[in-house]
Amino acid sequence: MSEFFNNIVLWLSGIWTAFRTDFINNFITDNRWRWLVSGLLTTLKITFLAAIIGIILGFLVAIIRTARIQTGKLRFLDTLCRIYITVIRGTPVVIQLLIIYYVVFASVSIDKTIVAVIAFGINSGAYVAEIVRAGIMSIDKGQFEAGRSLGLNNAKTMQYIILPQAFKNVLPALANEFITLLKETSVSGYIATMDLAKAGDLIQSRTYSAFMPLIAVALIYLGLVMFMTAGVNRLERRLRRSDNR
Amino acid sequence: MITVKNLNKHFGDNHVLRDISETIERGEKVVVIGPSGSGKSTFLRCLNLLEMPTSGEIWYNNECITARDCDINLVRRKMGMVFQHFNLFPHLTIRQNITLAPIKLKLMSQDEADENALRLLARVGLTDKADAYPAQLSGGQKQRIAIVRSLAMNPEVMLFDEPTSALDPEMVGEVLDVMRELAFDTSSRNGMTMIVVTHEMGFAREVGTRVLFMDEGRIVEQNTPREFFAAPKHPRTVEFLSKVIK
Repeated sequence: MSEFFNNIVLWLSGIWTAFRTDFINNFITDNRWRWLVSGLLTTLKITFLAAIIGIILGFLVAIIRTARIQTGKLRFLDTLCRIYITVIRGTPVVIQLLIIYYVVFASVSIDKTIVAVIAFGINSGAYVAEIVRAGIMSIDKGQFEAGRSLGLNNAKTMQYIILPQAFKNVLPALANEFITLLKETSVSGYIATMDLAKAGDLIQSRTYSAFMPLIAVALIYLGLVMFMTAGVNRLERRLRRSDNR
Repeated sequence: MITVKNLNKHFGDNHVLRDISETIERGEKVVVIGPSGSGKSTFLRCLNLLEMPTSGEIWYNNECITARDCDINLVRRKMGMVFQHFNLFPHLTIRQNITLAPIKLKLMSQDEADENALRLLARVGLTDKADAYPAQLSGGQKQRIAIVRSLAMNPEVMLFDEPTSALDPEMVGEVLDVMRELAFDTSSRNGMTMIVVTHEMGFAREVGTRVLFMDEGRIVEQNTPREFFAAPKHPRTVEFLSKVIK
């Protein structure tokens, strides 16, 4: 009986030793964990800056498109916006990234991180635009009329009355878009940007072990997304204050 | 004060307003009644250009507001409007609802606007709701706030688009009381100039200085309330009144 337990203990300690060696080999030797840290920072940088570009582009496009629908003006700009949305949503983000790096910036020497920021920002903008447009269209026409009847012009009515309500309505969809964006930046490695996913790759290429680096990278992405979700939930609760009865 | 000349409005093939000409003087309380679909709401909404007339002119204080070079936003500051469905801004507190336009249009400082809001809220008995959100109010309270929000701009004329039609019957009275008080407000010489689209015949009779009866896009008959309800002349008016007054 005691022999049986001894065998189990031996077996477990064997697994532990293997795990420990594997862990040290992948993360501690040569300070390989530093690649993950610098990769993580690059991923965060790309996501954050691309999200800002996406929000600015998206709101602009959404406002132009709703103005076209509501007032019939801005026909030329609206056509441009529709082409932009169709092309961006109709092609894979990896191809867009490669085109921007190898075609648009072919003859220019430019930081790859910046290329990734531009590519993912332009990509995200198209999705944000449609989300925000849905949000604006969801606001009752009476809100717009009430604002205009008080003497506020079109822009001020948008700014103070329509957009705050639209933003609140589409916050879950926007959060979804930025979670997707964060994870999509993992293809930045295609243009040899040293992001988080690429850092995992690099470790694997040195240690020839797949399990540790891949699981580590996956866990870091998971942690980031959970952190983002918690933040959005808090913001949502704050914006829901006016719904209390 | 407001002069309408040969006003026409089409929605697609639907000819909603047919060649309406009318003048409204300062201090008048004009009540517009008529069956649904007669164009009375559209007529009212044309006066501040929430609906763009298809043809015709609208003059406000010697300014042609249907002219291309007219800044309608400046005109609208002087024309308050109250809607059937209140249209309060749900993301703002009552105080912010009232002060938003005066502050953002730089007509008042924050302090002035807040003070003005409290004074107006006291007038309709809702001071304690200043920091509530619209969702926390009853229909009658919302409409009283909507009236106050318009008054905060110090308008010269108030347009009411069926202000009590969306209310529970028990709340109609409190809104009509506010409108009545506004009509007989002695701080301006003849009270507020008001144009009211409504189905409240009692209010028309008591407060109105003139009743317009509209049917199929035309003003079919108009008279003082006393004459109008006692001796309607047009057959459509007689028919309508026999249906709504029992």
